[in-house]
Amino acid sequence: MAEPALRLESLVKRFGTHAAVAGIDLAVAPGEFVTLLGPSGCGKTTTLNLIAGFLMPDGGHIELNGRRIEELPPFKRDLGMVFQDYALFPHMTVTDNVAFGLKMRKVATDEIARRVSEALMLVKLDGFGARRPNQLSGGQRQRVALARALVIRPTMLLLDEPLSNLDLKLREEMRTEISTLQRRLGIATVFVTHDQGEALTMSDRIAVMQDGRIEQIGTPADIYERPATRFVASFIGSINMVAGTVAGSAAADGLTRVETAAGPALARVGGNIPSGREVALTIRPERLKLAEPGAAPDGAVAWNATVERVVYTGARLEVQLRLADGTPAMAEMTNDGTAAFETGEAVVAWFRPGDAWVIAAAG
Amino acid sequence: MRSGPWTLLKVTVAAIYLFILGPIAITAAVSFNATNRSFFPPRGFSLRWWGEAFSPQWIQPLMFSLELAALTAIIATVVGVPLAFAFQRYEFPGKAIIRTVTLGPLILPTLVTGIALLQFLTVIGLGRWLGYWALLIGHVIICLPFSVRTIAISLQAMPGSVEQAATNLGAGPLAVLRYVTFPLIMPGVFAGMAFAFIHSFTDINMSLFIARPGQRPVTVAIMSFLDFGFAPTLAALSILSLLIPLVLVALLGRFVGIGNFLYQEQGRG
Repeated sequence: MAEPALRLESLVKRFGTHAAVAGIDLAVAPGEFVTLLGPSGCGKTTTLNLIAGFLMPDGGHIELNGRRIEELPPFKRDLGMVFQDYALFPHMTVTDNVAFGLKMRKVATDEIARRVSEALMLVKLDGFGARRPNQLSGGQRQRVALARALVIRPTMLLLDEPLSNLDLKLREEMRTEISTLQRRLGIATVFVTHDQGEALTMSDRIAVMQDGRIEQIGTPADIYERPATRFVASFIGSINMVAGTVAGSAAADGLTRVETAAGPALARVGGNIPSGREVALTIRPERLKLAEPGAAPDGAVAWNATVERVVYTGARLEVQLRLADGTPAMAEMTNDGTAAFETGEAVVAWFRPGDAWVIAAAG
Repeated sequence: MRSGPWTLLKVTVAAIYLFILGPIAITAAVSFNATNRSFFPPRGFSLRWWGEAFSPQWIQPLMFSLELAALTAIIATVVGVPLAFAFQRYEFPGKAIIRTVTLGPLILPTLVTGIALLQFLTVIGLGRWLGYWALLIGHVIICLPFSVRTIAISLQAMPGSVEQAATNLGAGPLAVLRYVTFPLIMPGVFAGMAFAFIHSFTDINMSLFIARPGQRPVTVAIMSFLDFGFAPTLAALSILSLLIPLVLVALLGRFVGIGNFLYQEQGRG
C-alpha cells in the first residue's frame, strides 16, 4: 500500500483525568474519505482538533505524508478545514474570505484572483464574490467555507460536522455535492459526524468511535452488515439482537449454530467463536421476513412470533414483534400492498442464515 | 385600541419621554432669554448668554474637559484592550481579584472612589505634586471599566472558530490579530472609547475632589457657578455640554458602527 496521507498512532488526549481520545490508530490513504462517526462525547471532534493542531496530544503521533506534524503549530500544517458553523470572516466579502489562505501564503495577486474565481466556480458560487457572509443562505455559506478550504490546495481536507446546520433537503444535496467534489479532486478527507446516514452514504471507510476509542473501522458495508460489537450494531441503523450460545464450531460456509431462547438458529460468524460462548445474534429488520405459521421457506431459520404493532411510515411498514421468549423484534418491509399483518396475529419470523450475524464481543 | 394595561404602558412611556426631553427643551429655551433671569418661557430673544458661554471664562474649562476626556478615553482603551483579552482569554492567578478591582469603580460611588484617591495621594505625599496627573489617573480609574467591559463583550461575541479558521488557513498569531480579531472587535473598542470619553466628560464626583484651581473641568466650573444661582449662561453651557457627546456618538455610529454596543448588549457583524 502506498504511504498513507494521514496516520494517527496511539493518539491520546486527556482533559484532566478524562481521556477524550484514548489511544487511536488510523491510516487514511491518499484520496480516501474516512468518517469518524460516534455519539457526542466519543472523541471524534477532539481527534479532528488534534489533527488540525488546535489541541496538543498528550501522547502518540500524527503523520501527514510520512512527516510528523504533532509539534507543528496549526498554521503550518497545510490542512483545509470546514467548521460546523462555517467560521466565515463576517467582515470580509466572499472573495476576501476565499483569498485569505492564499494571501497568508503570499501568493501573487493575479494568481490569487484566478484561483479564487476557480474555487468559487467549483462550488457554483461564481458571481457571489462581492457579497458578505450575512447576505448568503446557509447552503451558500457552506460552499464558501468549502471553497476557502480547498483553494489553498491543502494536503488534506478536514470536515467538522459541516452539514449539521443545514435543513434536511439541503443536507442531502450537499452530501452528494461534497462527495462528488472530494472524489473529483482526489483529496484525502477526514469527516466528523454523528449522522449515520451521512457516514454510510459519503465514506470510503467509517471509524465508529466510542469513549475515545475506535470500536470498528471498515467500509460502510462492513460496519452495517458485519458489526464487530453490540455498540456498533446498535449505533448504526436499527437491529434485532437476540442473546444466545454458540453450539459447535463454524462450518466451512462460515455459518455456526447458535442456541437462543427464541429458538435454534444458523448464522454467519467472523472468525472462529468457541462452542459454549455467549453471543448476540443480530438480524437487520429489513432481513427479517414474516410469514403465516408453517409457511417459512426451506433452509430458513424460523421462529414463532406475535405481532404487537404495525407502524406505518409511508413507503415502509415496521412490524413490531414479540418472539416466543418475550424478546422484542422488528421486521421492516416495503409497503407494496401485499403485506397485511394485524396486532395479536401469530406469525413466523424467518431469515436466511446468511442474513444473521453473530457478535462475540461483550459490550 | 386595547385599553387597560396598554393605556397605562403608553402613558408611562410618554411620561418617561416627557421627563427626559422636557428639561432639555426648557433648558435650551431658557438659554435664549433676553433678561438676566432664567425665565421660562423665555422673555425676549437674545444670543447674549451663548456669547458668554463662548467667553474664555467658560471655553477654558470646556476645552480642559475635552482634552481630559480624550486623553482618558485613549489611555482607558490602550490599557483596556490587553486587560479585556486577559480576562476573556486567559486563566492566571489572581484573575478574579484583578478583575474585581478593575471593574469595581462601575459599582462603587465615584464620590467614594474620589475621596479614597485623594486620601491615598495625600498619605503617600504625592497629592500636591501630581496635580493634573492625579486627575487623569482618577478619570482613567473610573472610565476603565467601561472600555474593558465593552471590549470583553465584543471578544465574547466573536465565535472562536473564526480565529481557528484563520489559523488553519495559515495565519500566524499576529496575522490572526491583525486581519481577524482586531477588525471584528473594533466596534467594541470604539464604543468602549466613547463610553470612557462620555463618562470622563460628564464626571463631577471625581473631579470635585482631585481638580485644582485653574485646572477645572467644565462640570466643576458649572457647579461652582451655581452658588450664584442659575443664570441663562449655564443653560447655554449645559446644552453645549450635551451636544459634544451626542455629536461624538453620532460620528462614531456613522463611521465605525458602534450603535449595537450603545443600544444593546452585544454587536455582531
